[in-house]
Amino acid sequence: MADTKIRLRPAKRGFAIVPERLVTGRTLMFLIAIMTFLSSVTLGAVLLVQQSAVGWSADIGRQVTIQIMARPGEVMASNLRSAVALAEATPGVASTRVLSEAEGQALLEPWFGTGFDLSALSIPRLIVVNLSDPKGADIDQLAINLTNAVPGASLDTHDLWRTQLNSMAGTIVVSGLLVFALIVAATVLAVIFSTLGTMASNREIVDVLHFIGASNRFIAGEFQSRFLAIGLQGGILGGGAALVFFFTAGFITGSVLPVQNATQISVFFGQFLPGLYGLFGLVAVVLVIAGLTGLTSRVTVHRFLNRISV
Amino acid sequence: MIEFNEVGLRYGRGPEVLRDLTFAISPGSFHFLTGASGAGKTTLLRLLLLSLSPTRGTIHMFGEDVSVLDQEKRLRLRRRIGIVFQEFRLLDHLTTFENVALPLRVRGEPESAYRANVEELLEWVGLGDRMAVNPALLSGGEKQRAAIARAVIAKPELLLADEPTGNVDPDLSQRLLHLFVELNRMGTTIVLATHARDFLKRFDFPRLELTKDGFSING
Repeated sequence: MADTKIRLRPAKRGFAIVPERLVTGRTLMFLIAIMTFLSSVTLGAVLLVQQSAVGWSADIGRQVTIQIMARPGEVMASNLRSAVALAEATPGVASTRVLSEAEGQALLEPWFGTGFDLSALSIPRLIVVNLSDPKGADIDQLAINLTNAVPGASLDTHDLWRTQLNSMAGTIVVSGLLVFALIVAATVLAVIFSTLGTMASNREIVDVLHFIGASNRFIAGEFQSRFLAIGLQGGILGGGAALVFFFTAGFITGSVLPVQNATQISVFFGQFLPGLYGLFGLVAVVLVIAGLTGLTSRVTVHRFLNRISV
Repeated sequence: MIEFNEVGLRYGRGPEVLRDLTFAISPGSFHFLTGASGAGKTTLLRLLLLSLSPTRGTIHMFGEDVSVLDQEKRLRLRRRIGIVFQEFRLLDHLTTFENVALPLRVRGEPESAYRANVEELLEWVGLGDRMAVNPALLSGGEKQRAAIARAVIAKPELLLADEPTGNVDPDLSQRLLHLFVELNRMGTTIVLATHARDFLKRFDFPRLELTKDGFSING
């Protein structure tokens, strides 16, 4: 229906030739908002997993564990002292700490539960070795020395765990990026459909512009500006929703969940709050989605105009 | 200014809509374009507007062979032509002022450069007090005057009009026709498609006549 709104004064600057209320504009804006939200959450999750994996890997890499099995005829206290001495004599080792029997048993509680009598089991004793220089420490030599000098001793460098952890994190990151790429592709397709629909429903405007001497470049620019505005509106809406989501998730882990669960989540995944880099990333996602919307519409409009031009 | 030589045009694989058109239009002239409905008046105007290309024959406009024009040159020539449609074809979401200023806006001119000219022209066509309203609120005659103002605001050398009085009452038709005559006196070449016989009788301008049998020039 015709816009019958009376404007008291004509626009002072160049007026908008493409109607501000496009038939497909609002639908596209909400669609872009959803896509931006999904993109932001996906990238946020990818970053969270990636940073957590790097953190875990680095933490684990700064420690090795000496495990001493009880052997008949061997004095555990003596073996522990020998192992500590060997470890502290190794270059790159900062400190050692012998876990008490109670601490060793506490580590098994997640599997056996509390109140289970572990005294009947022969639980190995553990020595945590903190490394000041993980790359420079001669861990292989320490392992050989332990094997030769301390009966029942072995060295766990957590390599297998780190490899599995990195492999799992890498899989999640790649999957997340694939999902992000699919979201971007779906956004591009949606913009193409919307642009073609808009061009078809505004064919009269295009024809009139052609008749009065507008170049294809000018017409494409006008439509691109409109779609860029829609992209920005949708992007800001979606990005804002993502920000609210991150803060809500952070609030839930910090305030609503029981302390123990919140701590575990925090230990495993860090904070949900996006931080400065996260905010930059969010703004970047909004700008990329908006720019992509404008660019896609421009290319689509150009193709449409080339098809209908003489 | 315009030379058609053995021009023919067909849409797709259909029959020729126009055939064997050979004529010339000199600068500053006024031609009526007549013919029964379906004779091809609008198609001929679209050829003159460069929005269609002939399927045979040659057309020279402003000294250029239009069949070899690239998009840029075609655009430059089109900007020397103004067009008025029977159904006005104003953009409903723009005000009268914005509709009339459109040809200057698409040329990249800033509003400060054309505002006074547009307002003066709107005063001249009697729409000085209607420039801030949208076309939906204009009468048929006002719409057509706005369409004419839009067609001439960029001072085209050639003005094409497709049945410009077809949707207005007889009294207003006369006034609009006088507007075209006045524009012609100011130097604009005009080709006006009409089937209004009283116009043809009243004004002794040459006629390009399209019939189902062919084409002729009278007068």
